[in-house]
Amino acid sequence: MAITTNKQSRLNQWFRHWLARRLPASKSITLAHKSIFILPTGFGVIWLMLVVLLFIFGTNYQNNLIIGLAFLLLSVFNTCIIYSYRNLAGIHFTAKPSPQNYAGEKLLYAIEVSAKYPQFDLQVNYPENTTVTLAEVNATTMQTLVPLANEKRGYVHPGRLKVCSRYPLGLCRTWSHLDLDNQQIVFPKPIKTEASLRALDEQSQQSEQLQGKQIIGVDEYHGLKEYVVGESLRQVAWKQWAQGKGMLTKQFQQPQGAPLWLALTTDTSKDIETQLGELTWCVDQLSRKKQTFGLKLTAQTINPDSGENHRLRCLTALATYGQQSSGGAS
Amino acid sequence: MKMQQELITRNSQLLLLIVNIAVLSPLYGEMTPWSLAICGICFLWQLGIYLGKVAKPPKYLVTILALGSASTLILVSSQIGMLDTLINLLTLGYALKFIEMRQRRDVRVVVLVGYFLIAMTFVEKQSLWFALHLTFVTGINTAVLVSLYRANSSVKPASKLGFKIILQSIPVAILLFIVLPRLPPIWMVPKLNTATTGLSDQVAFGNIEELTRSAKLAFRATFTDQRPSNAELYWRAIVLENYDGATWTQDTSIQSLQDAAMYGNNYRKAPQGDSLSYSIIAEPSKQHWLYGLDVAYSDNSQIINMPDYRLYNFQSVDQKFQYAVRSYPAFKMDASLPKPVRQTNLALPESSNPRTWQLAQQFKTSYPKPAERIDAMMAMFNQQQYFYTLRPPAVGPQQIDDFLLENKAGFCVHYASALTFMARATGIPARMVTGYQGGEYNRSAGYVSVYQYMAHAWVEVWLQDKGWVRVDPTAMIAPERVEDGFDAFFNPQESYLLDSPFTPLRLRQFPLLDNLRMSLASIDYYWSKWVLGFDNDAQQQLLKDLLGNITPVKLALFILAVIGFTGLIIAYNIGLINFTRSKDPVTQRYSQICNMLQKRGLPRQTSEAPNQYMQRVAQTMPSLASPLSEFTQTYTALKYKPLSANARKHLSQRLKKQHRLLKLAIVKSKSVAKND
Repeated sequence: MAITTNKQSRLNQWFRHWLARRLPASKSITLAHKSIFILPTGFGVIWLMLVVLLFIFGTNYQNNLIIGLAFLLLSVFNTCIIYSYRNLAGIHFTAKPSPQNYAGEKLLYAIEVSAKYPQFDLQVNYPENTTVTLAEVNATTMQTLVPLANEKRGYVHPGRLKVCSRYPLGLCRTWSHLDLDNQQIVFPKPIKTEASLRALDEQSQQSEQLQGKQIIGVDEYHGLKEYVVGESLRQVAWKQWAQGKGMLTKQFQQPQGAPLWLALTTDTSKDIETQLGELTWCVDQLSRKKQTFGLKLTAQTINPDSGENHRLRCLTALATYGQQSSGGAS
Repeated sequence: MKMQQELITRNSQLLLLIVNIAVLSPLYGEMTPWSLAICGICFLWQLGIYLGKVAKPPKYLVTILALGSASTLILVSSQIGMLDTLINLLTLGYALKFIEMRQRRDVRVVVLVGYFLIAMTFVEKQSLWFALHLTFVTGINTAVLVSLYRANSSVKPASKLGFKIILQSIPVAILLFIVLPRLPPIWMVPKLNTATTGLSDQVAFGNIEELTRSAKLAFRATFTDQRPSNAELYWRAIVLENYDGATWTQDTSIQSLQDAAMYGNNYRKAPQGDSLSYSIIAEPSKQHWLYGLDVAYSDNSQIINMPDYRLYNFQSVDQKFQYAVRSYPAFKMDASLPKPVRQTNLALPESSNPRTWQLAQQFKTSYPKPAERIDAMMAMFNQQQYFYTLRPPAVGPQQIDDFLLENKAGFCVHYASALTFMARATGIPARMVTGYQGGEYNRSAGYVSVYQYMAHAWVEVWLQDKGWVRVDPTAMIAPERVEDGFDAFFNPQESYLLDSPFTPLRLRQFPLLDNLRMSLASIDYYWSKWVLGFDNDAQQQLLKDLLGNITPVKLALFILAVIGFTGLIIAYNIGLINFTRSKDPVTQRYSQICNMLQKRGLPRQTSEAPNQYMQRVAQTMPSLASPLSEFTQTYTALKYKPLSANARKHLSQRLKKQHRLLKLAIVKSKSVAKND
């Protein structure tokens, strides 16, 4: 048993190497003869058995028409190989930036598909994941999201995308394994922790290096000003508008103060993944409140800032904590 | 999600409704009334499901129905025969599967069984029209499979593709049909339970007259060289040696040989001497008799050459059967007659037909030599007032006496019986032979058609030094019947047209329509000869004609070439290979002009816009200024302006014209430059 699994894994490895040489990773791939595999399906094998049965039937009855029908069905099988190949040949796949995801969520990889001629009933999936069926692919580019169940944080490579089709008669299965070089960053699973935020607060107060008080709380209401076209309607003071005071915009002010620092605790009772999860939650909370904060990890320090880009930088740092950052955009 | 995909779409359901009818309807002849009724109910239920009026039946109901109908079928299987039972079982299973279908897998099963049922239909029906019809059904059946993978499109593109795949597969199928060898039957198979047609193995007065009412084709014959005259076309089928006073039957020794007949048996050697070669396509008769002229011999291993010089098929002729025969007209049948055979052919029942017996004795005393005696008997039929008629008067228990001495009117069987009786009564071995006489010649395809109404009976007498000799008393009474055929003597309206209101033979009286009938018959003949009767011999011959000497390498290359070529055509047809030029015609025209100007020493710079280039050229070659500027204008308009389809078409035409003028101008400009 052990030996067979060993052999299998070696075979698998050899196959993966062979695939990598034959179908190197690329953001954009057009399927051609080099990347398309064809084998008969179970139904195709049964079809061939029917051909043999009809041939014997026709021979026993010395009936040329039955023999002819057997040959016709055999020839249909042959024709279907060409049709099956044609149903994959020329399809163009392009990896697209994917939506942000946290570990534990189903990842969706965005892939653009187009084909010169209409092609039908394509099944697309990542190994051991749900299959997406594309009923028709044609010259108009369409985008599809291929799911991948994932628990890990960091850069997640989905593996090779399997594209498969049994069109037109289900006799042959044509397929290809594509590496679209589309790893995406997966942030740690956020863990809600009010306590952690408060503790952080205390810590920052106690800490000598991280001085400077910071109030955590809601943004303060500052006043009203004249509405300028283009401003968010959310900010409009509808109450005043209803009172007939004209269109005014509420103004908020960020309390200015020393920035908040997020960092890993020295407390060893908490495992590192939980801490990373909690920090992720904190980053999201603080960002939502548009607060300024910095992040300090063992080997990396991100200076205080705010905004979406800052959030992404922090989350990426958390995602790749302890991992070798493997290429890709950071 | 997975489950949803496996559901059957409405398009597939509609196609399944069509395919149900299309596959089952050609089999109606083989189905019992019960099976037909159940198939009908299933179809209506399926229609109801499709229209949303009824729900799918619960599984147990379908199972009960299936078990019930299967067990009743097995009970009646001894009556309807094995193959019919099998067909009925399959059709019932097929029909029931339609109403309990839930998944795509079920559809695939139905399609495969559908193909098998189509093959079953071919057992009984093999005409060209049926083959075309069933090819169409095969197309619909294939379209059902396609529709499984075309969830979003309507029925039409799916069916179109189904038929396209079938059509594109036909060339390779024909190749395989021509090239792959035919095998002998691997095991004996059950036959369809249908009535026999044609000659019967026993003949009494009145038997053959029934056949003269039939306008059905019995067989066709094609002669390799010269076609014998009508009077020589005596097609032997059965030799009858036993007579019980009313009925002529085959001798038991021959019958037991026939019963023991196996594939590859042979009871006599090939005769020597000059021979006449021809091939025969026998129509299905459900009987074993085959037809041949005089001493016929066939090398076909399905055919047994019987000791009485007949041909016998080891299995009944259930479908058109083509075989090659050689006949040896000069060969003596039985130069010496073994004693038991002699006794059989002299035997007469005790005290039967005493008056005929007496008449025979008179002949014996007047003509002691057997040959002369036979001639004299024949002459009697000619000289006395005998009539040849399809409606002979009734006879009493002494049949031959009544006919020969009282009624003096009868059909071929009457005369043959009387002559055999008289010959035997005078000590000349004699026997009755039945078969067909004559044939209708089809000029365009060069074959002879023999119809059932041409059935005939005659006599063979055994003479010392001559063996068995054919004598036909009918030729004495009605020579036209033998020399010019059945139609020359009898009115078709009173014979074979009487019971066949729709036979094409009715068209004989209208020359133009008769030509059409002959052409259609020729098509059927070629179909029978080249498709239904395509055997190993025909295969060898055809391959030799196509490839010369057949070697395995040549054959393999031929197969690969045809498959490859068809594959290329299909690939081109579905858009895998395209020979289209990479540039559109507009760009192509422009670059052609640029190339021409480049040869005049005015190459276009890579960054140069068409307008700048035009101005530069116009400065150096003023003669080109106006055509080039017009051409460039149209070109830029086509290339960069958003245009309606109509305007685009209009401009493209203009560009084409300007392109031609400009080319002319460039060619001329060169000569102008030279002159300068």
